[in-house]
Amino acid sequence: MKILLAPLDPVHDAGLKLIKRKLEALGYPCVLLPPDITVEEIGEAAIAEKVDMIFVGRTVGYGVEQLFRRVRHVLTVQGVFDKVRVAIGGMAVTDELAKSLGFEAGYGPHTKIEEIHAMIEKNPELARHITHPVKNKPKFPFPHDNTVKNSTTKNLLDEIVDGILDWTADKSSPGVVRAHITESQLQDVKGSVESYTALPFTRDYLAQCDESVVDFFQKNICPPSVRQITQKEVDAYINRIDIAKRNFHPRVLRHGREKPLVFVQYGTGCPMMDGMHIKVAESWGADGVLHFDPAWGARTEGLMDGFLTNAEDGTPVTYANLSLIRRSLDAATLWTVRAHRGLNTPEIAVLSGFLGADMTKINIVYGSICGGTDPARLTVDGVDAIRTATRYNMPFDIPTNEELAGVPPHKAFAGMLIMAQLGRRLGAQPILKPLLCHGPYIMVNELMEQNYVDYNFAKIRALQALADFPIWPGEPIGFMTHTEEKEQSATTTALHAAMCSTLGVDAITTASTDEAFSRGPITADGRVGSLRAMEEAFRFFGETDVAPTKKADEWRDDIIAGINRTLEAVTEAPSFVDALYQGILGDKADGVYPGRAGKNSVVTAPKPKAVGRWDVTPAIVRKKPVLTVKAVTPGVLPARRRR
Amino acid sequence: MTTARDTIVDALDIESFILCESEKEAKELIGKLMQSLGLPRFVIVSLDFNGPGAHFRVRAYMNKPGDNYTWLQ
Repeated sequence: MKILLAPLDPVHDAGLKLIKRKLEALGYPCVLLPPDITVEEIGEAAIAEKVDMIFVGRTVGYGVEQLFRRVRHVLTVQGVFDKVRVAIGGMAVTDELAKSLGFEAGYGPHTKIEEIHAMIEKNPELARHITHPVKNKPKFPFPHDNTVKNSTTKNLLDEIVDGILDWTADKSSPGVVRAHITESQLQDVKGSVESYTALPFTRDYLAQCDESVVDFFQKNICPPSVRQITQKEVDAYINRIDIAKRNFHPRVLRHGREKPLVFVQYGTGCPMMDGMHIKVAESWGADGVLHFDPAWGARTEGLMDGFLTNAEDGTPVTYANLSLIRRSLDAATLWTVRAHRGLNTPEIAVLSGFLGADMTKINIVYGSICGGTDPARLTVDGVDAIRTATRYNMPFDIPTNEELAGVPPHKAFAGMLIMAQLGRRLGAQPILKPLLCHGPYIMVNELMEQNYVDYNFAKIRALQALADFPIWPGEPIGFMTHTEEKEQSATTTALHAAMCSTLGVDAITTASTDEAFSRGPITADGRVGSLRAMEEAFRFFGETDVAPTKKADEWRDDIIAGINRTLEAVTEAPSFVDALYQGILGDKADGVYPGRAGKNSVVTAPKPKAVGRWDVTPAIVRKKPVLTVKAVTPGVLPARRRR
Repeated sequence: MTTARDTIVDALDIESFILCESEKEAKELIGKLMQSLGLPRFVIVSLDFNGPGAHFRVRAYMNKPGDNYTWLQ
């Protein structure tokens, strides 16, 4: 197969030179004509060189259609077009244009040589990895020792963790009781959404719920911003999702490096809108997604049921909603469900585990001092949720968004490390989630006046010096550096992502370009904007590192000293729970307060069995749900994962 | 019948540069523009006025979470 490469430009032939080099490397003899030739000369050269194929290139886009129309006419008149295969390429060329003019194929910018090779050989398989890339689910988190390296820090953490386990040993709560009832019922129905939704409701469960949840089950009354989704909507939605799946071609954002994976948080209020945003995020390269529930859900005892949509931020956690979202995910997408901060923490961990979520999110400290939940209650519930995460083999991440209220990083990190060590003791896999933000403490102390790099480096390097746990900055990276302007927002996200690549963190959570826009919901297009910007930043830097100044080392040491100082203060408190009430991990001066939801709800009592049948009293029979869930294929439910 | 507008997942954003003499005038002009396009319910996402005029992005939500989505009809 001899190929003639003909540049139809006055001076440019760079593209065809590149193609020539690559085609010759593949074993094809090529003849490259010089630039500034006439159309007639192409045909004459083809005859003289006895080529089998002509590739005509045109960089300039103006008048390209008329020019190629003439190419075809002249080659036809010369008797070449019917004997030799002809393809075209250039900045304004598309395959559609080429075929409409009668050429074999057309190639625009960013064409890969594999695609041209496949065309030459008439074998699409040669370019399949380009045209139909396969993305496998990453094994996440990446391997780490999961140990605390600094002995001072480790000893302090062990003492605190001992105290937490002693303190919680004989305590339970309504949240723990509900979680065990729910787990028993899910076991009974083998995880079937339909069967679970139709189960008779129990007096035991409702006895542990707030009135709004009881009203939902007994009187079909939804909260003001919530409505039930109709069966017709569910069916139409699943049809849309299946179309998206059929047309999906995976995309990898990173360029040369394995890390960081990129996560997108969703929680528009509606599982169907979430699902569509998830498909958009997956299609533009996200590796994983995180479910966010509404704030009222965290402060209400008990979970509702069925397909529910909320007109405000946060998508209600129900078994059916989570099932619908799970049904929407690509097989390679990692899925995290936030459990961590409210009165339903243990039960959400159970639902997530039963549905095969890859991860969950639990932080007793953040939920207690910043999330509105009583510290004693969340300590009991958090320990139970971590046990569930262990049982279902779900790593859990530990967010430190209390920094957004004004808590200094060393206090937030001390709380995060307590949770990590607690998680290890209970057999779970913790993931550190520092916040890379321009938060109040940083603003007041002018730690980012010169740049956004040094202090963020100091934070991550401090954690890496103390321990070897997976690190996943979120949620999202660059918090409080975004403005409402799309270009600025995408840029700051992309630059933070590039910095994270240098830092070697395992994953990041990206913002959308609507991050700072608070007068309406986030849009799907806003997610695309940030993902594209990150992809470009990864491409730009490749394996090149971002370098901080020496200030980063100084601040790293300050943070490490502050973490150990804080942990020491926690050990001096009567208990970890007292430390939370006293504000050792964040106080009123830092802008945080012990939460009140669930206050006085902890009971000292024998715990229910860790796993197994809860004694159900089917005295209250739920009304038949408004909708059925036939559209959710039972086969999509995973086998229960249990250690 | 499904229209092109029905296929918009959530919002239609329009961004451009308009010639004006103040931020206030820019907002008035954007309002008139959106009315003329048949999009009376809109929100200005960002607006940056300087020199000859304003760089802006304005948004009309077609489907908000919890709505009966046009793309599911």
